Amino acid sequence: MILRGILLLWIAAGIILAFTWAPLVPVLQETTRVLYFHIPSAWVTVLALGWSMVASVLYLYRRRLEYDDHAGTAAELGLLFCIGATVSGSLWAKAMWGSYWNWDPRETSIFFLLLVYVAYLALRGAIDEPRRRARLAAIYSVAAFVAVPFLMFVVPRLYDTLHPDPIINPRGKVDMDNRIRMVFTGMLLGFTGLFYWMLNLRVRVLRIERRREDQGRPMEVAGA
Amino acid sequence: MSASRSARAIWAILRKECRSEWRTRYGLNAALLFALTSLTAVSFAAGRLGDRSDLLAAFLWIVLLFASLASLSHTFVREVEGQTLPMLRRVASPTEIVAGKLLFNLLFLVVIELLTIPLFLLLMAAPAPQWGAFLGVLGLGSLALALASTLIGALIAQTRGRGALFAGVSFPLLLPVLAAAVNGTRAQWQNLPVASELRLLAAYGAALLAVSVLLVDHLWEE
Amino acid sequence: MTPAAPQAAAAAAMRIECRGVGHRYSAGRGLDPVSFTLTGPGLAAVTGPNGSGKSTLLRILAGLLRPVAGDSVVSVSGREVPAPERRHVTGWLAPELQFYGEFTVRENLDFAAEARGLAHGREAVLNAARAVGLSERLGDRAAALSSGLRQRLRLAFAILGDPPVLLFDEPGSHLDEAARERLAAFIQERRTSARVLVATNDSREWSLADERITLGTRDLGDPS
Repeated sequence: MILRGILLLWIAAGIILAFTWAPLVPVLQETTRVLYFHIPSAWVTVLALGWSMVASVLYLYRRRLEYDDHAGTAAELGLLFCIGATVSGSLWAKAMWGSYWNWDPRETSIFFLLLVYVAYLALRGAIDEPRRRARLAAIYSVAAFVAVPFLMFVVPRLYDTLHPDPIINPRGKVDMDNRIRMVFTGMLLGFTGLFYWMLNLRVRVLRIERRREDQGRPMEVAGA
Repeated sequence: MSASRSARAIWAILRKECRSEWRTRYGLNAALLFALTSLTAVSFAAGRLGDRSDLLAAFLWIVLLFASLASLSHTFVREVEGQTLPMLRRVASPTEIVAGKLLFNLLFLVVIELLTIPLFLLLMAAPAPQWGAFLGVLGLGSLALALASTLIGALIAQTRGRGALFAGVSFPLLLPVLAAAVNGTRAQWQNLPVASELRLLAAYGAALLAVSVLLVDHLWEE
Repeated sequence: MTPAAPQAAAAAAMRIECRGVGHRYSAGRGLDPVSFTLTGPGLAAVTGPNGSGKSTLLRILAGLLRPVAGDSVVSVSGREVPAPERRHVTGWLAPELQFYGEFTVRENLDFAAEARGLAHGREAVLNAARAVGLSERLGDRAAALSSGLRQRLRLAFAILGDPPVLLFDEPGSHLDEAARERLAAFIQERRTSARVLVATNDSREWSLADERITLGTRDLGDPS
């Protein structure tokens, strides 16, 4: 209960600070603000994908349906954040370069992630039986894991980049003003916390639903 | 389980698929018709593209992509519709089953390409390809297409979904192939080297193969 | 070696064991955990009301279904056979077994023999066909068979290569009197050297069994 409150205040503070206290980056002007939402969203998108894939592998090993709950939920949340990242990125592109979509490498990458998420969730949606769904979704998850790095590396070779690199380059070095860095890191943590909180909530709901369905005759065995 | 016994099982399954296809022939006819239809549409819409190697490469692989999406899931769909999967699982391991069907899908794709590609080159007034590079990209690209499609086909056959779901779910896995193959095909028409595209296709194919080998045993557990 | 020892050796060398084997399909249907041990050749019957999991149990023993709970052990010639390899030592017959309609009876059986890697495939097919009375029908397309003949094809498929363990799920269904008698004679002959497990509610089929495994008193619904 307390943690929820802290999370709420934390993000609220982040939003407020993003619009008031943090300075602007010269070349970006007001659009700097997007930085605090767009990149944390993209980060959570990737985090969620990784979490989903790890949970899938764990399900194949341990066969506890709870792992599949994590895999499916993380994917649903990942899709949400991915849409957020895509839309915010698109708005930013419009403000900066005048067009909503350019197929530049970063835009293309996030779009591909969107495709992967949608495909994964579509597959899940087409299977009713929980164990089969868990198993087949896990297989697809691992296959997608192989495809994702190719999707990320093949793309840049095809198009020139318009994406801003001065602030954040591939090596991860953050070249920012201190105040920007603080708010940015804060939002990064805040978004991660948000993801974790929503994941937790949904997984618990699924657990309760399954307990009700089993009608008190559970048969989960660890391992096997 | 010895390798030679597996090889014989795979060979038996491949022959069964071929014989089944020959007896019913609905898959091949439909696939050829579909490929020709896409080709006609492209040719009609775009016309002769002799000097546009970028568009030529793109259209070629779009036609092949459509052909794959329309037909490469049939081997599994047939088993599900005929309810013959239990029987199949009782005579061969999942690896042997998938390997046999993969080889069949590859053969199927090759047959479609043998008819479609010459027609494409003709209709679109394409310049003469550098055959070595062209066939290299075509071969590795087809292999990767077949690998991804066979694996996803096995998954989709166990769901409520059909063709549209197969297309949507396999698309993210097919995109790297599409990108590299289009690039490579364009490059050979522009007299550029295709080595990096070939490497990419080979690496992706190998990665898909490795993943399939690891996962195939979990495909059918009921 | 005394005369009793070889039989004891044969008995010890062949074993089917279930330890808490259970399975749950969605909505609380399936097989409640069951444990038993069958050693040596013989005829055992699995009985129980509809939906008690007879078919499920046989599928698990045949290596087709991975159970949610428990372990099943099938041991032949002293060696434990893991589930992925059970198709080599077990013969499974069930109503859901279907064949390739566009192939003839012979082609279906030839394919089965070849894919399984049977040593003398052609011979095995002819033997199996003769044992079930399908020798005259080898050239018929499987799609054209009546239900009774199709059941005989299932039986021929199951006994192909004389596997030491036979798992029969409702073997007598669709069979006319003559065929039933032939089936009963076949089982009588095989029970001295093979382990035969018959799932059925037909008293004609289980009355001759040495052992009887009775499943579930609760109606769990039909898994198919």
